Amino acid sequence: MQKSLAAPTGTAIRNPIQALARWRDEFKEIFSARVRERQLGFRYTWYLGALTLGTFSIQLITGLLLMLYYHPSIPQGYADMKDLHFVVSSGVFLRNLHRWSAHAMVFLVFAHMAKVFYRGAYRPPRELNWVVGVCLLLLTLLASYTGYLLPWDQLSYWGTTVGSSIISSTPFIGEKLRFILLGGHTVNANALLRFYVLHVVILPLAVILLVAIHLWRLHKDGGMYVEHEKNVEKR
Amino acid sequence: MSEPEKKNLAASNDEASFLSRRQFFVKLGAGSLAITGAGATVFAVQYLSPNVLYEPSPIVGVGRPEHFPIDSVTLDPRAAIFVVHAQKGFYAMSSVCTHLGCLTVWRQDEGIIACPCHGSTFRPDGKVIGGPAPRPLQWLKMWIGNDGNLMVDRSANIASESEYVQL
Amino acid sequence: MTSDPKAPHEIALPQPIEEEKSIPYWEMLFRETIAIELLASVLVWIALWWNAPLELLADPQQTPKLAKAPWYFTGLQELLHYFPPFVAGIILPTLIVVALVVVPFFNVNIKDENLWVHHKSQRLAILGIVLAALTVLLIRFDAWDALLPVWLIAIFMGIAAANEGRRDRGFRRWLSSKPLSFWIMTWFLMEAVVLTSVGTFFRGPGWSWIWPW
Repeated sequence: MQKSLAAPTGTAIRNPIQALARWRDEFKEIFSARVRERQLGFRYTWYLGALTLGTFSIQLITGLLLMLYYHPSIPQGYADMKDLHFVVSSGVFLRNLHRWSAHAMVFLVFAHMAKVFYRGAYRPPRELNWVVGVCLLLLTLLASYTGYLLPWDQLSYWGTTVGSSIISSTPFIGEKLRFILLGGHTVNANALLRFYVLHVVILPLAVILLVAIHLWRLHKDGGMYVEHEKNVEKR
Repeated sequence: MSEPEKKNLAASNDEASFLSRRQFFVKLGAGSLAITGAGATVFAVQYLSPNVLYEPSPIVGVGRPEHFPIDSVTLDPRAAIFVVHAQKGFYAMSSVCTHLGCLTVWRQDEGIIACPCHGSTFRPDGKVIGGPAPRPLQWLKMWIGNDGNLMVDRSANIASESEYVQL
Repeated sequence: MTSDPKAPHEIALPQPIEEEKSIPYWEMLFRETIAIELLASVLVWIALWWNAPLELLADPQQTPKLAKAPWYFTGLQELLHYFPPFVAGIILPTLIVVALVVVPFFNVNIKDENLWVHHKSQRLAILGIVLAALTVLLIRFDAWDALLPVWLIAIFMGIAAANEGRRDRGFRRWLSSKPLSFWIMTWFLMEAVVLTSVGTFFRGPGWSWIWPW
């Protein structure tokens, strides 16, 4: 069933698509050579997974750029926000894009999950991928929550105060957990630094790792789900 | 018992002891990993818990008693405490909402203490009137310092209505 | 994984793909790229016109009159308004996550079987008990807005049960063919939408009820 889409080895490559197709052999763990048209019908997926990945890419790019002007300290973090708004060229645009794209990402992750559920695309052999997806949902929410503190404005501070107080309501270990998360008894400089490290290093790395597993499993489990058919692997 | 049977027995004994040796090392390995994991967890928790905090002192002076007229509730936002001068005397309460840590405010016109976050309301003695707060506002140790100022230790919790400061 | 044509599981199955149109993978990438670009241009447009909120410098000495979380947490905030923090903030989210994780591991979800096809009266009785228990619980905590989706779903489940066995192709037939997991997930999503909307649009200072207009 394997069809080589690339021009046969040794012949000239006539167009960029053929060049891409030859590369495809390097990526065959991720892409099938051919997909059924039904798998791509807009009404089956609404492209929610791809769009979520798109917003995540925007987050990575804008986030990396924002890091160049942001210091995770008090009150410098807030001053950097003001600088982004009024001093840095296009700073306010990048911050806006980072924020609105984050909102879009959260919405899309939820929508993707609902769509996958209603199509029954969690069925075997896709159980593992469903669980990976739930983990990605949690990581997305955590990334939003940690990012929320970084501007160090009133909403950040009190949102994080309330959020971390929820943790301390856990019996027995709650206070200790909150202390470790914040690095103090109140939301302060330690908390800002910890949330910053979580937001820019730990959570994005975890998301990238899980997205890689998510896409790889998607391919292994037969590509995008098609209802009421046996999922035969087609290559 | 015949010779071959004995041999078989010996062989199976050997096998049993071989397996148990393997099992021993598996257990040794798993045990070492568990101990290492537990140790790493303890170290991680210790490392993540700062030993020195640059947080303000819990003991604050809130001012001279004459500044608080009788039947008044005064919020000291700097220290996040209420100083109340009731008929029975002075007392101090934390203004941190017992629900989720927002700072409550005194609403003079309604005569209640209210939390802006989730709508809890309290009486001036700290009792919960409404909203999701699970406990009354925390009463704090208060005394008159050597310089005549009212002092509050924000880390010293006392039971509601247990102590009043008299002049 | 590799396409060995002799792989046994491929031989047994009848003609899966030949009648159907298939397209090369770059067409898929192309379409997905277009979709992402469209979304990106919409987001760029939004980012050019609307600024991300930035309030005053954080002041640990004063809680703002209205500290509202971004919309995806207002549902949680609404729950926190009604229930103790440990219940609303720890137990309920944990239960939701566990429920989501186990979805593909229950046979009932995989078989996709109409809820009302067997043991109908027994299941109606269970539905009644659950409905009564949830109603009492939510009223006990004054969580009227969380009660709304409970009753909506129960009514639709009742309609589905009453129409069990229909053979036409209408809405009621469609409702009656739904499995239990459909109802639970739809209930969860409706709760999420209702609580999020109430938290976002109908709550003012001190988390009091306001009208958005």
